Amino acid sequence: MTTQADFLARIRTEMRKTRGLFAAATAPRPAAPRAEAEAIRRELAPRWPETLERFRREFERVGGVFHRVAALGDVPHLVAGLAREREARRVVAWHAAALGADLAAALTARGLDVLAMPAGELGDEAERRALRARIAEAELGLTGVDLAVAETGTLVVRSGAGRPRSTSLLPSYHVAVFDRSVLVESLRQVGVLLEAWHAPDAPPAGAVTSFITGPSRTADIELTLTRGVHGPKEVHAVFVNADIRG
Amino acid sequence: MSEGELATPFRERAGRAMRDTFLQEALGIATTKFIGLRREAFADFPEGDALRDRARAIKEAMLQRLDEHLERLAASVERLGGRVHYATTPEEARAIVLDIARRAGARTAVKSKSMASEEILLNEALEAAGVTPVETDLGEYIIQLAHERPSHIIAPAIHKTKGQVAELFARELKRRVAADPEALTQVARAELREKFLKADLGITGANFAVAETGTVVLVTNEGNGRMVTSLPRVHVAIMGVEKVVPSMTDLMIFLAILARSATGQKLSVYTTLVQGPRRAGELEGPDEFHLVLLDNGRIGELAGPLREALYCLRCGACLNVCPVYRQIGGHAYGHTYPGPIGILLTAMLSGPAAVRDLAHASSLCGACVDACPVRIDIPRMLLGLRRELDERRLAPWGERIAFGLLARLLARPRLYRLAARVGRLLQRPFARDGAVRGLPLALGNWTQRRDLPVIAPRTFQERWAALRREDRR
Amino acid sequence: MSAPRRVSLMITCLGDLFFPEVGMSMVRLLRRLGVAVECPSGQTCCGMPLFNSGYHREAAAVAARTLDLFRDAEHVIVPSGSCAYMVKHEYPGLLAATPAARRAAESLAARTWELSQFLVRVLGVRELTSAVKGRVTYHDSCHLLRGLGESEAPRTLLQALPGVELVELPGADECCGFGGSFAVRLPEVSAGILDRKLANVEATGAGCVVACDAGCLMQLGGGLRRRGSRVRPLHLAELLGGDGT
Repeated sequence: MTTQADFLARIRTEMRKTRGLFAAATAPRPAAPRAEAEAIRRELAPRWPETLERFRREFERVGGVFHRVAALGDVPHLVAGLAREREARRVVAWHAAALGADLAAALTARGLDVLAMPAGELGDEAERRALRARIAEAELGLTGVDLAVAETGTLVVRSGAGRPRSTSLLPSYHVAVFDRSVLVESLRQVGVLLEAWHAPDAPPAGAVTSFITGPSRTADIELTLTRGVHGPKEVHAVFVNADIRG
Repeated sequence: MSEGELATPFRERAGRAMRDTFLQEALGIATTKFIGLRREAFADFPEGDALRDRARAIKEAMLQRLDEHLERLAASVERLGGRVHYATTPEEARAIVLDIARRAGARTAVKSKSMASEEILLNEALEAAGVTPVETDLGEYIIQLAHERPSHIIAPAIHKTKGQVAELFARELKRRVAADPEALTQVARAELREKFLKADLGITGANFAVAETGTVVLVTNEGNGRMVTSLPRVHVAIMGVEKVVPSMTDLMIFLAILARSATGQKLSVYTTLVQGPRRAGELEGPDEFHLVLLDNGRIGELAGPLREALYCLRCGACLNVCPVYRQIGGHAYGHTYPGPIGILLTAMLSGPAAVRDLAHASSLCGACVDACPVRIDIPRMLLGLRRELDERRLAPWGERIAFGLLARLLARPRLYRLAARVGRLLQRPFARDGAVRGLPLALGNWTQRRDLPVIAPRTFQERWAALRREDRR
Repeated sequence: MSAPRRVSLMITCLGDLFFPEVGMSMVRLLRRLGVAVECPSGQTCCGMPLFNSGYHREAAAVAARTLDLFRDAEHVIVPSGSCAYMVKHEYPGLLAATPAARRAAESLAARTWELSQFLVRVLGVRELTSAVKGRVTYHDSCHLLRGLGESEAPRTLLQALPGVELVELPGADECCGFGGSFAVRLPEVSAGILDRKLANVEATGAGCVVACDAGCLMQLGGGLRRRGSRVRPLHLAELLGGDGT
């Protein structure tokens, strides 16, 4: 078996043989990423309408469906409508704390079968499997959004407590709810935020960050674009005018 | 590709591909479409060129400190509770994965598209060890059912028609489906959903790995990369050492150009950043995370002539624009990695003798350099390989004699002029109306499909000499 | 820049043996423009066929000869993008055995011009006449386009020709499939690439396809003739300096 020491030693031996390399540098990283992330948010705040408009345009270009509602309380009505049109009934939703509000009662009142996620982790593999099987049965997945990237029409979603990875993956219809606080303009800004999320003093989160740019798609058969191959076949981004967290 | 097929000379494999009329049509449509999509994507992206330069510089900077970046990557992964393994050879890499599978008691392994796992022939090894590997990228799934290999880095099944896929599903899945991409995709979704939910082991490659944070980055359009890293109990990622990038800031630069180059998308649908196993508080995700760092000829090229090929992002853009690839497709190359970059990677993995023929499978037109997001100078390295083949006397003897003669002729003007006169005599039986047809031997390779102009009755230099005499009069 | 009055012609092996009319056209054209033309005797080839097949030592010997032949030339004009590329971009590396040789190679590289580039970028020529009228299309040779980064000069000249209508060739920047020895090593592939190119050429409805490289013209012309096409393959020089026949 090759050990780390052997492996790195071989690399160093080969590296010593290189000659005439051109000077090259990696990308300069933000010195204080959390402060820079805050600065970006402040700078973006006044022009959020333009950013939102660009996001909408790009999101629709990649096949997403954009909605806009006044307040979080309007979301259950919208979700119920989407479910009815698609003859769907089962909704799996992030935990209320992760979503920003408890919408389960309102969804249930509209005739939906709601599976809200527990806040914390489950005891063992068997419990996890059981939960996942139920998520897999749901037709709609309701999540929040950590970043909405205007340049590419991308939703960035982090896993963590109360926000399992498969909510935005296994159901056929993904509904993501967001407000102006998560809007960013560019991938460059996303880079700063990612640095901030990984800074030593950043709050803990789950192990996976997913960039979602439209519905799951493939063109593997005769280059014919087909939606919903493994992930959702529809992605709905619901912009809430009022700040979700007040 | 089996050993038997590799025994067929490249020219014959290429010829066979060219007689496959469906393949020809599919290739024409696919490569033309990809070229157009890429061109449009960069046309409305003015910063694209500068980002490509930066990405290239980052790759170079990364290679100059590869040891440090890998050490940091390993430390980050271990800090998160993951394990790092080191594989010098394909055998070693296979043994590592099989050992993980055995400890996990895995019966089924779901895989998201990974060229590194193709390169080490992992599926065959898993099967032999009683673990069923299931490819989950739709294209890979199709070719796995058909017992074939990918013909394109990012569109592995472009050589198949929907009719062929429907027949394949009927035979292998016992499902009768219309030859309609939508219907076929839904069948694959249902079949694979089952596999995802019951697999014990998830195997992926890595488009990038961020040293600073220990994050493995997977780029897919279908979502299978997310499935494979979320659902099974154990996740193994296999990556070539050159895939490491220093930081998240660097990563974003690559993401901005990768999908644009590959499919013309601004981003692929899913970019998944996986940082070790399931965290405290998470409801799902694997218990175990393993990262296999693969050498397989790469480290030996750090100071070698193919070093620049280590910049490759595996976007496939060079395949689409390559006039040779567009004629013959991926299978004719006969190795894991097709197309112009594939020739270099094959030489890296298997040594220059493995590309004795392939090194010449390029007109050196340079379209690949223009298309490459990190501007890898593929023609320059092909020239280097050809030179090495000559210097190590690996070129066929007939060719070496021919070029030896040519060299003499071109270095001696008198001999050159004599050759022109002899050529004029010899061409007579084949020449008509200023064109030559039906030449024998190697020259027949030209005249089979094209006329050859005759050696002029008077060369330019003869006419020039006459003109000068007139001028003086 | 004051217009150079004296240039040396690097005729190239294909130009010398197969396309002498291209060289004669260049001489006529340059003389008409008031430029004196030299053509050092004893020319053979730039060495690219050897170089591209991996025979670098042999190619270096040929390159060293070329260097000698053009040591005193003020400007070296080449009717082929690929040969010009060889001299400008490969000679310095190939002849790096001694610093003096390298310096000489770099000097030659700086003095060497592909014909269309010389006409537009050095002489600043804009107005010329054409020996051919009607619709023409232009094929970018790979080495001129991507090697020397030139797509404009030939088009500038063609667009300015009275009586000539330049129509863009779909996929003009795609290789014609020549590639030197590639054309005989993998003849089926080479001819397949050519088929695509010629289908595009014929779709333009042009009466002739113009190129600035003898290799491409050999390939395009060989294919056109074999399929009995009415499209004529012509070197740019033949339009600009043709004697009207």
